[in-house]
Amino acid sequence: MARILIVDDDTDLLEGQKLFLEKHGYTVQTALTIEDGLARARESAPDMILADLMMEHYDSGFVFCKKVRDLPGLEKVPILMQTAAPRKMGFTFDTGSSPGREWMKVDEVLTKPVPLEHLLGKIEQYLSSKASHA
Amino acid sequence: MPDSGPAVRGLPGAPATAALIAARERDPSRVLVIDSEEGMREGMRRILERRGCAVRIASDGEEALRGLAESPADVALVALSMPGIGGPALTEQLLRRSGGRTVVVITSARASVEAAVEVTRQGAFDFLVKPFSPENLICVVERAAQEAKLIREREKYLSELAGERNLSHQMINSMHEGVVVFNIRREPVLMNPRAEHFLGTHFREGMSLPDLFADLDAAAAIEAVIDSAPDHPECRLIQLNAGERRLQGSISPLLRDGDAGGVIVILSDVTETWKAERDKDRFVSMVAHELKSPLSAIINYLNVILTGMFDDSPAKVREMLERCKVRGEALLDLVRDLLYINSREVGKVERTIEPMDLKAALASQLEFFKVQADKRHIALQLEAPAGPCMVGADRGDLDRIFMNLISNGIKYNREHGSLTVRISEAGPAWEIAFVDTGIGMSDAEQAGVFQEFYRVKNHKTSGITGTGLGLATVRRVLAGYNGRALVQSRPDAGSTFTVTFPREGG
Repeated sequence: MARILIVDDDTDLLEGQKLFLEKHGYTVQTALTIEDGLARARESAPDMILADLMMEHYDSGFVFCKKVRDLPGLEKVPILMQTAAPRKMGFTFDTGSSPGREWMKVDEVLTKPVPLEHLLGKIEQYLSSKASHA
Repeated sequence: MPDSGPAVRGLPGAPATAALIAARERDPSRVLVIDSEEGMREGMRRILERRGCAVRIASDGEEALRGLAESPADVALVALSMPGIGGPALTEQLLRRSGGRTVVVITSARASVEAAVEVTRQGAFDFLVKPFSPENLICVVERAAQEAKLIREREKYLSELAGERNLSHQMINSMHEGVVVFNIRREPVLMNPRAEHFLGTHFREGMSLPDLFADLDAAAAIEAVIDSAPDHPECRLIQLNAGERRLQGSISPLLRDGDAGGVIVILSDVTETWKAERDKDRFVSMVAHELKSPLSAIINYLNVILTGMFDDSPAKVREMLERCKVRGEALLDLVRDLLYINSREVGKVERTIEPMDLKAALASQLEFFKVQADKRHIALQLEAPAGPCMVGADRGDLDRIFMNLISNGIKYNREHGSLTVRISEAGPAWEIAFVDTGIGMSDAEQAGVFQEFYRVKNHKTSGITGTGLGLATVRRVLAGYNGRALVQSRPDAGSTFTVTFPREGG
């Protein structure tokens, strides 16, 4: 079954999503910091990554995504960003445009709280398109 | 020379009205007569004095120049040929030394055109041919006096004008606002020192609009006002960044006799208000984020529970509900802290400054936190000098400071650790140290610890709830007492927060 890495500085959010996704048969790893997240991504090369935006710094999530993309084998791993940050914080999330996605190194930005069914749907969507490309 | 005094009085064409005579008496024409012939000198003097002039006489050029140095003359009657300094040379000297204020009339028996041309070239105003009638003399002198008066008035007008120009110049230069004027060809033509300071450049000829305003929007707005129709003048208000500054520019058209003449840009420094607004926006964004995070976690747990996937493991459900409760309570704390900060900011918190004993205040706070500390087997200690430690403070403020620091000392401690609160004298202040044996912080983590919403986030702090406002509030409250808060810490060794509080009467 697919392996998912969730990086978020909120233990409770991690725990809830982990429990939910595990029940749906995914293998879930969690990390509280971007350093920890990078270490886990490097070791286990997950099939999909969920990352928070505002962690130690307001843009930690972007830094994390950029570094993940630089890891061998993870250039194309689907990354969903989840954030509770207001839409406008000095930059706008423009994942509708490909330059926007390219710059942010993420495939999609979801606003917290992400409804679980919606999250599950997104994960299935990205994993299946990844499988069909493979 | 004929002395025809009585004829002067009846001189036709010179109306000796009472008003005119009075004016002459108030401000008689000052005439200097220079002639080597005594008879001529005296004759002229008599005629002119009868006419109300103030006459002085000189027999040669040297004496004339000395006389002029003593007091000024409006009109000088200069004989063309004299021993010593001749007429033309004297004319030149008189004009130069009087700064052009003395009008020179040449008198000569040699009525040659060449001589007339020559002295006129030297700057003489008129030429009087000897012999002349008293009427003739008076007529010429009065015309010359009139000329002298015009010269004086023009001088006065010019000096007033210069004074006014100087005044407006000084006003523009001393303005707190920056002033830049552009002509219709978009060239800067005036810039006061304040504008130079704001825009970080010095005015020089040949500058262009982009030299001063690199900001494209600002330049476009200035051009739009320059190009606006004079009968529908347009004004614009712009904001731009200039170095560290935020400037507001009011652009209005400059009209010259109803025609477009360029624009005046008045620049004011709005950096402070702009920064305050930006900080407020940032704070609101942070608040929104901090409110949404715990709610997201709670809703996430509830959604997991509601899927029913854990219906067969009630212990797991209970665990999730416990966390929802903890996060919900933390959220409530956050809202309380925000409301407190806000009411403090707007001055709604009433403070009563009274003599307070730090020892008593700390002892009661430590007592309050004992239950929480016991749960984690953390020993609370208070060390203080004998006798009361008095400060002048509001009870609520003291409690808020101590509550936050004691609570942190327990939350970020390890099990079986200790929190020691130590009061000591430090010059005019009390120093209160909160020494814990907890997880500590790296130098980088300590840096922002007194900032709003800053929370050290690592695996050691995960699961510890906090609003991110506690220490920021401590700092704010202390600032009201000229107190300070410092932190010293090492990872895994513990942290010491030190608060200084002015002693009462200290």
